[in-house]
Amino acid sequence: MVGIWNKEEADMKNEKFELKKQKYKGQQYSQLYFFRLTFTRQYLNPRIKERWPSYIVTNILGLDEGKVCVVIGTLYKQMKLKPNILDEYSKERSVGGLVVPSNFTDAEDYLILEDESGRVKLVGDCISPAVYVTGVVVAVCGQPGKDGEFLVEEILEPGLAPQPPLPTRKKSESEKYVAFVSGLRCGGPETNPLQVQLLVDHLTGHLGEEQEQSLSAQVVRTIIAGDSVQLQAQALHGQPLSSKDQHKLIEPIKELDLVLTQLASAMPVDIMPGSKDPANFSLPQQPLHKCLFPGATAYSTFVSATNPHQFELDGVGFLGTSGQNIEDLDKYSLADDPVDYMERTLSWRHIAPTAPDTLGQIFNALDKRITAQVKHHMVVSDTLVKKVPFSDGPKDVLLSLATKAFEH
Amino acid sequence: MASASRKHNLTGVFPQRKKATVASGKDKRFDKSSGAYDDVPVGGASLGGGSAQPAALITSRGGKQDLSGDYDEIESTLRQFDMNMAYGPCLGITRMERWERATRLGLSPPSNVRDMIVNLEASQDCLWEGRV
Repeated sequence: MVGIWNKEEADMKNEKFELKKQKYKGQQYSQLYFFRLTFTRQYLNPRIKERWPSYIVTNILGLDEGKVCVVIGTLYKQMKLKPNILDEYSKERSVGGLVVPSNFTDAEDYLILEDESGRVKLVGDCISPAVYVTGVVVAVCGQPGKDGEFLVEEILEPGLAPQPPLPTRKKSESEKYVAFVSGLRCGGPETNPLQVQLLVDHLTGHLGEEQEQSLSAQVVRTIIAGDSVQLQAQALHGQPLSSKDQHKLIEPIKELDLVLTQLASAMPVDIMPGSKDPANFSLPQQPLHKCLFPGATAYSTFVSATNPHQFELDGVGFLGTSGQNIEDLDKYSLADDPVDYMERTLSWRHIAPTAPDTLGQIFNALDKRITAQVKHHMVVSDTLVKKVPFSDGPKDVLLSLATKAFEH
Repeated sequence: MASASRKHNLTGVFPQRKKATVASGKDKRFDKSSGAYDDVPVGGASLGGGSAQPAALITSRGGKQDLSGDYDEIESTLRQFDMNMAYGPCLGITRMERWERATRLGLSPPSNVRDMIVNLEASQDCLWEGRV
């Protein structure tokens, strides 16, 4: 007997990463870094008073040799292997430099702390340059030494932001799930369309017996977090295309539109742009344009979202990105597990501290990436190449502060 | 009269001062091929002494010549506000936005500065806007 289940629903509230025609006439990111430092300082000051009540907080110019004091500033990591655009013009170009390493850390990297008045080099055993990246705001306690160095005794990060309590579920309501998918890569040479179709069928409830169907009925929302389309790279070299080539170029997006239409007819869908999708390069990436999805846009359940994407469902907060920030952290620092990077960003209270240094960022006088209040779940799509089994995206890395669960 | 009939052209002796024009970039020379004068003194080279006022005196206020080297008190206070490092860099952001951002960050910028910015006479951008 075929049962009928009603799809569960959840209330959704939306986001703040959309740029509504903001223009920035400046040429430099100094405004952004100033804002980041001053804003984060507000959170650091109370923590410093708690932890080191006896030491005074000074700025870098006010450091006295021999006295222990506390300084707040932005970190800059001096890296030997960091690619420099001036290398193109250097006269000695070694032949071996053609292989670009995926990680630019080196044992000789060191950290420099910078605030409005000056910079100072940080030395000491307790800070490990491999863990930090450029752009993180921290407070350090220590003694200024000779030669303009600062011997660090302790370092303090802004720490986890206060989290509003999780709403309790009423007993009458059943469990609700959110599905996270990433890396569909429609139209790509290695993608198997059958897998994508299986995923869609599963989510829309066309697959399986009663048990699976009841599970799909409990999925409230699907978030597609990046890398949904793989366009032919040869076609995008700026040369005019014949109409045949144009059709070929659009094929992947049409395929994706079909997939999305099927999904949107069953449940609310959010699609976020990824690094290879047809959206702008710099963060925050603006939503994919509606004209790309003529079929899916007909449904009101279809939402084209920004990257990073922040929303609330039934009182539970979510914050997610398509992975560019974590990939960038992976290039410039070391960790055992990508989840460690996510924990660090939460502790630093900034989703993408390497922007605008090594990650594209739209000129913005306000650095909106700082999480003043941590949401309950943070999702980052791990966009490294891995095979996708048809279920709901193990490529996603989910970090939750309340529980390490995939569902709420 | 004989004196009247002779062209008393003393323009070759004394270099003529050209009329002061606003940022005239044109190079006016005696065009020998066509024999036309382009208001250059006869037989005299243009030393460039009579060229237009240097561009630095022409402010963004509608392109008029700002021959007064002084600026009023309002502008002077606003420049102090621009230069104050506590509120961050002044380039690339209008004064009003910078003031509002400072308030939001809890830096308490003086409220009389805001009144001055709202006053339409004052420039919305800092002195170096567009020049650096």
